[in-house]
Amino acid sequence: MDANNSPSPPATADISEAPLTSASERQREEPDFDEETMRKTRPGLKRFTLTLTVLLSFLLGLPFFLKSVEIYRSPLPFREIDDLSAAVESNPLHFPCQFQAVFVDFGVPSFTANELSMSIESHMQNLAAKDSTFCGACSNNSTVSVTLESGSDCLYSNNDLQWKCGGLNELNKFEGSGKYDDELFDYYLKSLLADNGSRGHGGKVYTVIVVRKEEMEEVRAVVGKYRHAWIMGRVSEEAAVKKVAEIFVKVFVNGGKEEGCISGEFMPVGADGRIVLSFNLLNADPRDWTYDWEFQEIDDNLLAPIIDALKPLADVRVESQVLYHTPKSSFSYWDDTLGSYIFTRNDLPFFVNSNEWHLDTSVAAGGRSKILHFVVYVPSATECPLLLQLPNGAISKTNGFISPMWGSVVVWNPSACLKDTEMEPHVRHKISPEDLKKIFEVFLGQLRQLFGLKSKGLLGDASGTLRLLTSEAGFTEWELDVLSRQHTCFNLLQCATTLGSLSRLVQSLPRMIIKDEIGKQVKYSLESAKLALSNVSGGVYDASAVSSRQARSFAEDAFYHPSMMSVSYYSFEHCFAVYSPFFLPVSLHVLLAALRERKRYKQESRKYNAWKAKTM
Amino acid sequence: MHPFSKGSDQMSRFKSAFLCFFLLFSASESLSSCQDIVRVSEEFTEALLLRPLPDRKVLAHFHFQSTAPPSRTYGRHHHLFPKSIYQLVHKFKVREMELSFTQGSWNYERWGGYDPISNSNAKPPGVELWADFDVPQHQVEDSWKNLTHALSGLFCASINFLEQSTSYSAPQWSFQSFSGKLRYGTLPREAVCTENLTPWLKLLPCRDKAGLSSLMDRPSIYRSYYHSQRLHLRSDEFDTSKTSTGIVLEQTLTVVLQPNTFSGKISQPSWSLSSLFGRKVGGKCSLSNSSNVYVQFEQSLVSKVKELREKMESSKNEILIHEGLENNPLFELSLPPKRIIKEVENLKKDGSILYEFSVEDYDESELFDLGLSWKVPVFWSCQQAPLHISRFLLGSGNERGAIAISMKSTESNNVEKAGHDDKECWLRVGIFQVVPWYVKVYYHTLEVFLDGESQHTVDNVEKIHVSPSEDKVSPGVMEIILRLPCSVSTAALTLEFDKGFLHIDEYPPDANQGFDIPSAVVRFNNFLTNISFDDNSVKRVPILSKLEENIPVLSYTEVLLVPLTTPDFSMPYNVITITCTVFALYFGSLLNALRRRVGEEERLLRDKAAKKMGPLMLMLSKLSAKLRRKQWEPPKPSSSQKSVINYKLILKVLLVAGIAFAWQYYFQ
Repeated sequence: MDANNSPSPPATADISEAPLTSASERQREEPDFDEETMRKTRPGLKRFTLTLTVLLSFLLGLPFFLKSVEIYRSPLPFREIDDLSAAVESNPLHFPCQFQAVFVDFGVPSFTANELSMSIESHMQNLAAKDSTFCGACSNNSTVSVTLESGSDCLYSNNDLQWKCGGLNELNKFEGSGKYDDELFDYYLKSLLADNGSRGHGGKVYTVIVVRKEEMEEVRAVVGKYRHAWIMGRVSEEAAVKKVAEIFVKVFVNGGKEEGCISGEFMPVGADGRIVLSFNLLNADPRDWTYDWEFQEIDDNLLAPIIDALKPLADVRVESQVLYHTPKSSFSYWDDTLGSYIFTRNDLPFFVNSNEWHLDTSVAAGGRSKILHFVVYVPSATECPLLLQLPNGAISKTNGFISPMWGSVVVWNPSACLKDTEMEPHVRHKISPEDLKKIFEVFLGQLRQLFGLKSKGLLGDASGTLRLLTSEAGFTEWELDVLSRQHTCFNLLQCATTLGSLSRLVQSLPRMIIKDEIGKQVKYSLESAKLALSNVSGGVYDASAVSSRQARSFAEDAFYHPSMMSVSYYSFEHCFAVYSPFFLPVSLHVLLAALRERKRYKQESRKYNAWKAKTM
Repeated sequence: MHPFSKGSDQMSRFKSAFLCFFLLFSASESLSSCQDIVRVSEEFTEALLLRPLPDRKVLAHFHFQSTAPPSRTYGRHHHLFPKSIYQLVHKFKVREMELSFTQGSWNYERWGGYDPISNSNAKPPGVELWADFDVPQHQVEDSWKNLTHALSGLFCASINFLEQSTSYSAPQWSFQSFSGKLRYGTLPREAVCTENLTPWLKLLPCRDKAGLSSLMDRPSIYRSYYHSQRLHLRSDEFDTSKTSTGIVLEQTLTVVLQPNTFSGKISQPSWSLSSLFGRKVGGKCSLSNSSNVYVQFEQSLVSKVKELREKMESSKNEILIHEGLENNPLFELSLPPKRIIKEVENLKKDGSILYEFSVEDYDESELFDLGLSWKVPVFWSCQQAPLHISRFLLGSGNERGAIAISMKSTESNNVEKAGHDDKECWLRVGIFQVVPWYVKVYYHTLEVFLDGESQHTVDNVEKIHVSPSEDKVSPGVMEIILRLPCSVSTAALTLEFDKGFLHIDEYPPDANQGFDIPSAVVRFNNFLTNISFDDNSVKRVPILSKLEENIPVLSYTEVLLVPLTTPDFSMPYNVITITCTVFALYFGSLLNALRRRVGEEERLLRDKAAKKMGPLMLMLSKLSAKLRRKQWEPPKPSSSQKSVINYKLILKVLLVAGIAFAWQYYFQ
């Protein structure tokens, strides 16, 4: 080794005491050679390079090591998620809608069809601007096609929607026979419009027909069960235009909502597109009396059409149970003037007794279905009759209330408590079919309210009232259109927020394992969301509703994936604790060795240089 | 109904139907009883059976039954039947299912092992679940898994642990379902408490608000020596035949209570409902069809009464014409019974007696409180199963051991009753044993001992089915039918096993407690038990018709606790740390060896040491060189160097220790 044949003293600290004897011997040989400060040979580089190589190989190995301990994170498309949420949240979805107005018997038109169309559109935009734009509205630049019909000839505006001229001639026959009826007329219009609308628009055209009748005193405005409304009576063109715009915006676009209704943010549909309607008959105290119902009949007769009507929106299931010994948890007081027990709006939060009312979540529902509870509460003898007093002092007609996203409660007072007759306690009575029908009508109204629709058939506005025809199935076609638009919109919003929070969560936990499955679900969710968006702009309602539902359910699947729920992510502290016993000592050794060798090499080469300078 | 008695039950049902059919033509009165069997609406009944036990305790057995007619004719909306159970049956297509939560173990010797109540309600500790499905064979596993999860949610228990394939088994023939769609699983360590009782009560229409269930005062129930809450459901919803009965849900709660009355040590304690439960009954559940309380006196007690009466008669020399309560020499009931139901045993002997009380006439103003007081001290014994079974572990240590099941004859007279089939008298004992996979049982080591002598296994085993465990996949299952001579007094069965090792993730919390081997089920083939009554009207009362059903005699053994070697759970970190340290040491020294200028250092030290070396050391080093047959070299400086280093090292260590001590002292 080079150190062996070099006569220079070692420079390392622990053997720094140089052997004086040998130094003095050598000094005798060469008088001006100082062992301490100079050396004759060039210092060797071997050890220095060796330690450096080890250090370098360690440094080179570091990326490989980090790669090997890396946890698996499926790459999530963060950019796209951000884009989606930006797209959905910044500008609310607007659906393209088609409107049509028909003016009949307006004599000599003072306006052309195009002018009328323009003026209706501007009125609509004014109204829409007044209303806060909510999710699922029609876009502002929807066109209105106008037809002017007088006698036998028609004037059309520039749109491609065509109204069959002279279709209403038969109407006069109706009236002549004195059999005029809103329902019948509605049906007649439907058949008339079905012929018209079959040409490529899927029948989703909202129509208002204005019929001028000089002989009629008042103006009559009715919204039908399908996608049309009509105004009859002595109206001027300006008033008619205003009214038409109002019907378009307030009814067909906004679903006839009024202030005070539940805001549309709540849509009681589960993430998997299912609703379970759970009907419960609660007997507060069966020791007084026990009531029972024939639910099978109700299910078959009353609920089946509703379920059918809601099919495009959600998969609805019905289940029922009768519970006993279920007192309410709020108090009611006796009111002498009303001769009954009273509970007020302040008691409502405490009415539902979650301890005793075991309105079990359904086993059959499973997954993330939404359960809506409908409760018929039969009070006990000590609190019968039980009435709900409204804040204005009046007694509620329905004697029930709703709780958004939970369901509704109706208090039904048995006739026995009014008669004050002694009842045989252990006999099970049946609620009479008439009473049941009433209760379920209330439930239907409450269901509509839970969906954010009006429960009354009248709509008051600036210029008189509108009559809204109600469907036997509970939901009219235009209402379902509104709901489906809203549903699509909320699904997309929900999907965007879920994905957004998922991406935030994932980014905030850099050492959390993300499985491929989650990556896939996010991908699918984004794809369906995009599809839904493109369908919306194309005006395909049904397809967009389906794909938006898919998008939401995939997003929720990803968010609630079991591997995300577990806290078994591999923390950095853990990693440090496991690897530091190895890396700390080794890196210390390697670094120190490299430093020392460098130091020594520098020192020795200085010595050599000093000697060289001397000899030169 | 119990799984072991499917055939017999169907038989009896068939019989009753036939009888009914026959009677229909003979008498018009029997029409009503016939209609009872063809149910048309939902029904709910409640009953409570009380029985004094020989060891001064009282057995209380609550029995609730809900029935739902088949949904094909009745529809899917119910008024009484619990919705969740109906949905469960329909979702998982359950044909029959039994779930029991038990705390404590049934004392077969003192509380009886032969009567229907003990045979259907004595359950192994913890949770036992078995279910028979009506689905294609490949869906059974999925149905089972989903069912365990649903039940776990429904009853607030960790039944979902039965989902793992290592925790349940598919018995071949021990349960009399040959469909192969039956699954059986137990959780011996499940703690049972009110959170399991509350959801169970929710299935009753009146919960514990009214009726007999209002007696269920939680503290008194959970203070009991044994309590078992059971849910059994049977449905033939999916049968295509027309005679389906729908779903029958039977819920029972069996408790063994100690009456806390201060009576003498010898005599039986007198008790009443209020002293047992701390509550009284305020009328029946208004929805139940019948609401009765029964007090049962066992056969041996009844014969005691008879004896006593005869003695009294002989002493008093007078003849009592009727056997009433009033002149009962042994005990007194605080209320007059509605009727007395007698068991019809075979010819000569008396059967047990049931006193029936109806709660229907009582209400809040007049609470029902039944009491029983004893007049004289009395001793009697329960009817015993043919053999008394106990199971225990042999061997010690953490490596291997053996399971032994010992059977001791109780010398009850039942053996002769059922065992005599031919000239030879054989006692057939079926054992069903599930062993978790980490207890590796060697089934070839099965040994049978009769009266302490080892026997040929082949001679005594009539039928055997073994499915060995598969590591981390399935438990080991052994089904065996032993054939023992009737005269045997003790028999034993041993199996050796090795204890396996679990992966560190597989240990449950508190692994040091040990691992449970579930109870074995021992069934006495050919033994059936029932209480038949002479009164035909009992068929209308579900609890009594339940007693009339033939139930196989069986008993559960104790749960075994096997201690397994538990690792130090911080071991992985220790291993990592020590490996890393070794690696670091290796690297460090390697680097040092490569880098150090050994020759240079040695030369310098030699120079230095040569002067310091004393004569003694020189001699020593020469000597050692000679011994090692090496050429003597000037001694290496290492020794002196070492001593210096040692000295320094000791100083350093002392310093560090001092600092550590000071640290400890001042900062704690």
